[in-house]
Amino acid sequence: MNRYRRYKGWLLFSPWILTFLIFWLFPLVYSFILSLTDYRLLSPDVDWIGLGNYTRLFSDSDFVASLKNSFIFVIGTIPFTTVIALFFAVLLNERFRGRTFFRAAYFMPSITAMVVIALIFSNLLARGGYVHLLAQMIGLDPPANGFLLSEKTALFSIMGMDIWMASGYYMLLFLGGLQTIPNELYEAGRIAGASRWQQFRYITLPMLKPVTLFIIVINSIKSFQVFVEIFVMTKGGPLNSTFTGVYFVYETGLRQFDFGYASAAAYILFAIIALASLIQFKLLKTGWTA
Amino acid sequence: MKRYSILICLVSLLILSCGGDKAQKIKISWWNFWTDANIKPVVEQIVADFERQHSDVDVELVDLTWADGHDKIAIAFSSGSGPDVVELGSDWIPEFSSTAHLMDITDIIDNDRDRYLMWDPAVYQDRVYAFPWILGTRILFANKDLLSQAGTDPEFSPKTWDDLYSASKTINDQGDDVFGFGSNSAERHRLYKKFLPFLWSNGGSILSDDGKSCRLDSPEALEALQYYLKLCETGLTDTQRRLEDAFLDGKIGFVISGDWLLKRIDREKPGFNFSTHLIPVPHEGYHSISFAGGEYLAVNAQSPHKELALELIKHICSPENQILFCLKNRTANPSSIAAASDTAFLAQPHFDTFIMQLETSRMSPAHPRWVYIEGKLEKAVESALYKAKTPQQALIDAKNDIDELLKP
Repeated sequence: MNRYRRYKGWLLFSPWILTFLIFWLFPLVYSFILSLTDYRLLSPDVDWIGLGNYTRLFSDSDFVASLKNSFIFVIGTIPFTTVIALFFAVLLNERFRGRTFFRAAYFMPSITAMVVIALIFSNLLARGGYVHLLAQMIGLDPPANGFLLSEKTALFSIMGMDIWMASGYYMLLFLGGLQTIPNELYEAGRIAGASRWQQFRYITLPMLKPVTLFIIVINSIKSFQVFVEIFVMTKGGPLNSTFTGVYFVYETGLRQFDFGYASAAAYILFAIIALASLIQFKLLKTGWTA
Repeated sequence: MKRYSILICLVSLLILSCGGDKAQKIKISWWNFWTDANIKPVVEQIVADFERQHSDVDVELVDLTWADGHDKIAIAFSSGSGPDVVELGSDWIPEFSSTAHLMDITDIIDNDRDRYLMWDPAVYQDRVYAFPWILGTRILFANKDLLSQAGTDPEFSPKTWDDLYSASKTINDQGDDVFGFGSNSAERHRLYKKFLPFLWSNGGSILSDDGKSCRLDSPEALEALQYYLKLCETGLTDTQRRLEDAFLDGKIGFVISGDWLLKRIDREKPGFNFSTHLIPVPHEGYHSISFAGGEYLAVNAQSPHKELALELIKHICSPENQILFCLKNRTANPSSIAAASDTAFLAQPHFDTFIMQLETSRMSPAHPRWVYIEGKLEKAVESALYKAKTPQQALIDAKNDIDELLKP
């Protein structure tokens, strides 16, 4: 009986396991092998070049620039997204009239297609777009041809859009986390004479640690993989200022068909993301004690 | 019982799927990019016509999109499962021909070489691998209302660089909301196409005639880039899409564009007061050489029905079918010389400018590493446009990078 049940379990799992093996694990391993060759799509001869692609990558100024942009993107968006999401979550956890409306409203961007948002923002940020006009009105000196066409503002504009878009989703996760905090803790806190700020600092924040960790890790991974925004809005330009890691993989892999080289770049990104996640786990698990 | 019913279903499915095999028809697949509801019926009609002439042939149409069609073709060819006939963008041909994925049609198309235009991009090491079908070049569009507003004769046709520059500047000086020349911003795979007409018309070129070295360090190239940058100062820099929007809004005096803009004007602004011109030349007596691209048809080197596939291509490209297709699609540049000189065709407004421009147009050099070369060229124009480098430095850097790429 027990054996039959175990076999049945595997059987029920098998569609998932099969797709996992075929569409996930196999490409993962295969692309690692490719990254050690000079394989180009369409070209019949393939040579084993060991770490050649990896050394070539680090002397490729485009790749180094793309890594730099990815780091700026991650470091520049995550703190803002997290703090804004937490702020609105705490705010919308209070009881007041219309809070479901606001919750839905903040969540809206997350259920809108990325391409749609990117297209709308392209127009808002362009010369004569609302954001551009607004910046002019309040006396800022926005780039003459719009934010996305200046190498100084393009990346930051996309980062700003990303913060706006992502905050709603992480707010929802924070809200979920807030609801798991037992009310008794706050009651005890109040009896002990804790102020609102103290309650937040010593009850809410520590209790939200697991959610925060999750959010920061997930958001870092997602931000490292930023692609659609770039593809729709700037295609990596101007002057490579929005050329990010995944966009580099796309250009070399799917435009130039340099599969081996693109695979190597993808593996470096993978290593960076894995390392960053590991560090975040370690830091938030141990370093941040309430 | 349940188990049996499933079995019965499976068996009957099997029988049904085998039973469909009636008359032994030869199947030819054609991968194409014409999914637009307006033009697809024409493609189907042309194919049906072919099937009528060859009762034993069944042509299977497969639609591709511009977003990922290139990837799909490349992946299919590299896995050995490509279609019999494939539509290729002109600058994709070398990567497929140089890797022996396309059928060599040199000896079979001998008579056609004089009847069709633009074979250059289909040639690799003196052999021909694709058949030109629908071509397209870029010309200069001018807004006549803005010209007269600026006190210029609305019928004015800028022939030389100086003509264009001064007309553009006069319009640009009319106010903050009108612009002279619409220039492309740093848009990947677009920007270089706007610089090339100026380079070529000035007698410059990207590669030397033998294709072994880069010639972007020539004085002609520098002069062209300097003029292009000067021209861009008299106008608006934006993406191609937004430039065309602004042109239709009557905000831009001159814009370089293709026949798709004619189609847009027909549809969105039928009464729009504009004129079309050849790309201006540096001085009188120079040839106006514009940038061209096009759709080519090629036969898969692995196809078991090569002869039929080629026959299908010739059928699609016949003058009658090209006229049918181009008139419906508002394409101004068929590859067939007979089609381009047809009276019904020339009667279309502005088509004559496109046809005349194409006679002296060029496509990007057919080089297997073109996609890299293009990137370097584009970087040069971009860094000069954004003043990250001087025009001299940008071109010399590009020359050195491209020379590196050209090494065998």
